[in-house]
Amino acid sequence: MSTGKRSTVHIDGREISALEGSNLLQVARENGIDIPGLCYHKRLSPTGACRLCVTRIEGRPGLVMACTVAVREGLRVTAFDDELEEARRHTLDYLLAEHDDDYDGTWRDELRELTDRYGLTDPAARRYPNICREIGYHADESSPVLTYDAAKCIKCFRCIKACEEIQGKSVLSFSERGIASHIIAGFDRWEESECDGCGECVQLCPTGALVEKPHRATIRLDRLERKVISTCPYCGVGCQIELNVQEGRIVRVNGVEDFSPNYGRLCVKGRFGCDFVAHPARLTTPLVRRQGELVPVSWDEALTLIAERFGAIRDGHGPDALAGYASAKCTNEDNYLFQKFVRRVFGTNNLDYCTRLCHASTVTAMLRSIGDGAGTNSIEDFARTDCLFVTGNNMIETHPVTATYVKAGVRTGMKLIVCDPKWTPLVKHAHIWLQPRLGTDVALLNGMIRQIFEEDLVDRQFVDERIQGGQDALRELRLQVEAYTPEVVETITTVPADLLVEAARTYARAPTAMIATGMGMSQQVTGTNNVFALINMMLITGQIGRERCGIDPPRGQNNVQGATDVGCSPRLFPGYIPVTDEANRTRMAALWGVSGEVLPADPGLSTVEIMHAAHEGRVRGLYIMGENPMVTDPDLNHTRESLERLDFLVVQDIFETETTRYAHVVLPAASFAEKEGTFVNSDRRVLRVRKAVESPGEAREDWRILVELAERMGAPIGQYESAREIFEEIARAAPMLGGISYGRIETEGIQWPCPAADHPGTATLFLERFNTPDGRAILNPVDHVEPGERSSERFPFILNSGRLLYQYHSATMSRRNNSLNSFVNESYVLMNPLDARRQELSDGERVRLYNGRGELTTTLRASKEVAPGELFMPWHFSESPVNNLTRGELDPLSRIAPFKLSACAVERVSTHTVRGQ
Amino acid sequence: MVPTQTLRKHPPLQENLLLILHELQNGSGRNYLTEEDLQAVAEYLNITRAAVYGVATYYSMLSVKPRGRHVIRLCKSPVCDMMGAPGVTRILEELLGVAVGETTPDGVFTLEESACLGRCDSAVSMMIDGQYYGALDAPALARIIGRFRRG
Ligand code: SF4
Ligand code: SF4
Ligand code: FES
Ligand code: FES
Repeated sequence: MSTGKRSTVHIDGREISALEGSNLLQVARENGIDIPGLCYHKRLSPTGACRLCVTRIEGRPGLVMACTVAVREGLRVTAFDDELEEARRHTLDYLLAEHDDDYDGTWRDELRELTDRYGLTDPAARRYPNICREIGYHADESSPVLTYDAAKCIKCFRCIKACEEIQGKSVLSFSERGIASHIIAGFDRWEESECDGCGECVQLCPTGALVEKPHRATIRLDRLERKVISTCPYCGVGCQIELNVQEGRIVRVNGVEDFSPNYGRLCVKGRFGCDFVAHPARLTTPLVRRQGELVPVSWDEALTLIAERFGAIRDGHGPDALAGYASAKCTNEDNYLFQKFVRRVFGTNNLDYCTRLCHASTVTAMLRSIGDGAGTNSIEDFARTDCLFVTGNNMIETHPVTATYVKAGVRTGMKLIVCDPKWTPLVKHAHIWLQPRLGTDVALLNGMIRQIFEEDLVDRQFVDERIQGGQDALRELRLQVEAYTPEVVETITTVPADLLVEAARTYARAPTAMIATGMGMSQQVTGTNNVFALINMMLITGQIGRERCGIDPPRGQNNVQGATDVGCSPRLFPGYIPVTDEANRTRMAALWGVSGEVLPADPGLSTVEIMHAAHEGRVRGLYIMGENPMVTDPDLNHTRESLERLDFLVVQDIFETETTRYAHVVLPAASFAEKEGTFVNSDRRVLRVRKAVESPGEAREDWRILVELAERMGAPIGQYESAREIFEEIARAAPMLGGISYGRIETEGIQWPCPAADHPGTATLFLERFNTPDGRAILNPVDHVEPGERSSERFPFILNSGRLLYQYHSATMSRRNNSLNSFVNESYVLMNPLDARRQELSDGERVRLYNGRGELTTTLRASKEVAPGELFMPWHFSESPVNNLTRGELDPLSRIAPFKLSACAVERVSTHTVRGQ
Repeated sequence: MVPTQTLRKHPPLQENLLLILHELQNGSGRNYLTEEDLQAVAEYLNITRAAVYGVATYYSMLSVKPRGRHVIRLCKSPVCDMMGAPGVTRILEELLGVAVGETTPDGVFTLEESACLGRCDSAVSMMIDGQYYGALDAPALARIIGRFRRG
C-alpha cells in the first residue's frame, strides 16, 4: 500500500520519483520502461505467475519479478540487459509450447505482441516444439456472451482476480492439475454458473482465451473505423464506455480504464447491451396516424401538423391544456431545450418525467431536510466508508458497478447492513439483513432512532451546530419515537428486536457511515416519510457533513439526475430554482431573450397528475420525448384511457413503444450513440456523450426537432449549431453547473456544484453547510401509518415489483439485444414456497394475478426470496404488465405512486383458459 | 438427498471446505461427489460453485465423476513406472474391461492412476479403497480382483 510519501528509484540508470509502496512494474511502465509481463494488471493484486517481468535488484540475489516489488527509497533496478532478455525469451518460448497460436483477429492479444517482440513468431525460432494439439484442450462455449478456450489460456489468473477483486463475484476458479488445468465457472459449465456476463474477465484476459461472443464472426480489430468514448445509456452509474465501430456499427464495447466512475468496470448491459442501436425496428421516418394506422410522412408534413394542432389547443384552451414528458434517457442538452420549449412555446409548467415515479419522494424529503436531492458522495466512497446502510435498493442488479465498490469495501472491513423485504444478492455480502414487512419502514427506522437515543449514541455536538432548533428539535424527535420499542417494532415489522438493536448500534457507532436508498423506500404512499425517518437517523448520529458520510439515492436511469438539474420539473427551473422565484424568472427570461411575463409562474402538473388531468379533459395535448408511460405509469388501464382521451399526442422515440400506439404523430429520434451531449450520473458527475455512428434513416437528435418545432410554432427557442452551444447556455442558466464546459470534461467528468471555471467540482456535499436557508439541516419527525392497501380475504397477497440485472426499465432498449435476452426474457412472479403449497400451485405454472384494477398472467416461481404473503414481479415485460395492478394513489408530499405495494389474488390459469386465449 | 447432517457438523467457514468434501464423499457410500453435494456445500459456505468444484477436481482423492464401489488407484510415479507399471495397467484394463479413468458398467470398479503411494519398496503398487497391494503381477492381480468381485 502506498504511504503517500515519494521516493526515488533508479531503473537502468534513470532516476525516477514514485510513491513509496507503489508497484515497481507499474512505475516502470508509467515511465516508459516497458518491462514485459502478462499476469500483472494495474487493477489487480500482483500474482507473480508468468515470470516475464524478471529484473535484477541491487542487494537481492537472483532474478526478481518486478510485479512483486514495492517501491522504496534507493531501489536500484536493472530492467534490461542481455541476460534478462534471454531469460524472458526462454520463459516465453516455454509458454508457447503449450499454446495454440491460431489468431482470428477478434481480440487484442498481449501474448502475441510479446511473441513478436521477442522474435518468436516463427515456430522455427523456438526451442520447444508445440504440444498443444496432443494435449487436447477443453473449451467452454456455453455462456451466451463469451467463450473460454483453454488452449489459449496462459494461466495468468487475471480473469479469476478480475471476477473476484474487481467485480466481487468470485465466479471463476481453477480446476484439475498440471497440464489439464484450466479456468472454470460453476461446475465447469459457464452457462450454469453464477456468472452474470459482465465481461470483466474478458476485458482483462491478455490472450484469446476469453473472448466476447457477440459479433465474433464479423469483428476484425484491424478493420475498426473508430473507438469513441461515451457514457453508458442504461443506469445512473454513468460508466464510461468505449464504443468500437466497424462498418458503421457498434461491434464491441469496452470499459474505459483509468477514469471515474467505473475505472474499466462494466455490467452486462453496458458491455453487451448496445445492439439495440442498429436494431432493424428503429424508427426511421416521422409517422402520422391516418384512419387508425401510422403512416410514414416527411418531416415537413409531420412538424407542420404538430405545430398546427398544439397551436390550436394552446390558443383555444390556454397553455395549461398542454403538457410535456421529458426524458431521463435523453441528454441534458435535449432536456434543457425540452423544458425551454414547454415553458416558452407551450407557456406552461406542466412538465415532468419519470423521476416522479422513482425518487420524487426521496428528493422531496432531501430537499426539505438538507436542501439538495442529489447523492452526497462519490462512487468511490462506497468502498471507503466504515458502514453502509442499504435500504430498498437491490444494488447488485440495479447499480451493478456501484455494488462492485460496496463488495470491495466489505472485503476490507466495511460493515454492510441491508434492509429489504425481499432477498437480494447483496444479502450474501451483508453482516445484517433486516427484512421488514412491506410498508413498515418508518416503524423500523423510528425503532432504530429510539435505540440510538436509548444508548446515547446521539452526536450532540453535531445536533447543536448543524441542526435547526438543536436540542429542542432533538427532544421533539425523541418524543415522536418513544413508542417504538424494539418489541413494538418487531410486532409491526417482524424484524427481530435484537437484530434491530444491532443494526442501530452498528450504524451509529461507525466512525463514518453512508446510506444508499432506493425505490423500495421511495415508491410508497409513505415514500417521503420513509426518507424523512432515514434522514432523521442520519442527522442525529452526525453521519453526514463529513467525507464518506451521507445519503445517496443511486439514480435509476442514465440521466434522471441531469434532467432535473436542467429544469425538467413542474416546480423548478434549471439549477433547482423554484418557478415561483420572480427574480430568477426575470433572469431566465433575459437569458432566453423574452419578456418576463412570458414564463409561467405557477407550478405545473406532475407526471401522474398530467394523466389524471388528461382523463378529466383538462390536458388536451401531450408531447412525450423518450418515455413510455404505457409501461411505467401506475394503474395502466387508467393511463390508457387518459391517452385515448387526448386530442393530440406526440411521441418522440427511437422505437415504437406501448405508448406510440396511442400517438397521433410519432417522431424518430437519434439514440445516445448518434449524438453529442452530456449525462449527469448518480454522483452528480457531468459526463460526455459522443456520437459514434449515424442515425438510421431520417432520425434526428431530439434537440434539433425541438428547435425546428418551436420555430414553426412562432416562438423560437434559439439557434444552436451544436450540443456544445446548448451546454454553454445551461451553464449560464444553472448556477451549480456554471463552471463546467465541454473543454473541462473532455477526459473526465466533473461533479457539481461547480460554480466557476476554476472550481474543481464537489466530491462530498454539505461539508460546511446544508443547502437550506440558514445552512442547518431540519429534523422531520414522522409516524408509522399502516399501509392504506392491505391484504384481504379476496386479495390475500401483497405484490412488490422491481428490476432485474439483464433488462432495463420498460425494456424498449434492453429487449432489443439478443445477449441480454438470452439471460432473461420472460416475466415471472416469485411466491414463497409455503404459500405456493397452500395455494396448490407449483413452480413453472402459469398463473393469473388480479385485483380490482386489473389483471395479468405470468409464470410462478416458488422462491424463498420473498416472505410468506408477499410476491415479487419484475416489471420490464409489457406482456405481463405489473402496473395493471398498481394504484394511482399518490404520496401527498411528493406525488409518487406506490409501485411497491398492491394487494392482489393469484390463481392458476387453467389449461382451458389458455386454449381459449 | 442433501447432505445437511454432514454439513452441519462443521461451522460454515471456507477453511472447512476440504474437510467437508472428504466427509461427504466418504460418508455417502458413493465414492464421488454429486452436483447436489457440491451445490449444497457452495450454499452452506456461501461461496461460488467454481470455488467448490476447483478444490474437488484438484485433489486426486476427490472425484466429481461417478466412481465404482471400489476405487483402484495405480501408482504412476517413476519407480513403479520403471518396475513395470505400464504392463500392470494393461493387465488391469483387460481384466476390468475399462480404460484408466473409467468405471466398469456394473459400477463395481473405477480404475485410476495416482502419484507416488509411498510404497516404492514393493513396486509396482496400487491401492484399493485405502488398502495397499504391492509387487503386482498378472496372477496377483487376477486373485485380488477376483476376490473383490466375489465379495
Ligand atoms: S463475465 Fe463477469 S461475472 Fe462472469 S466470470 Fe467474467 S468477470 Fe465473472
Ligand atoms: S483465461 Fe485469460 S485471463 Fe484467465 S488465466 Fe487464462 S489467459 Fe489468463
Ligand atoms: S507480470 Fe510479473 S510475473 Fe507476470
Ligand atoms: S513410485 Fe510407486 S509407490 Fe512410489
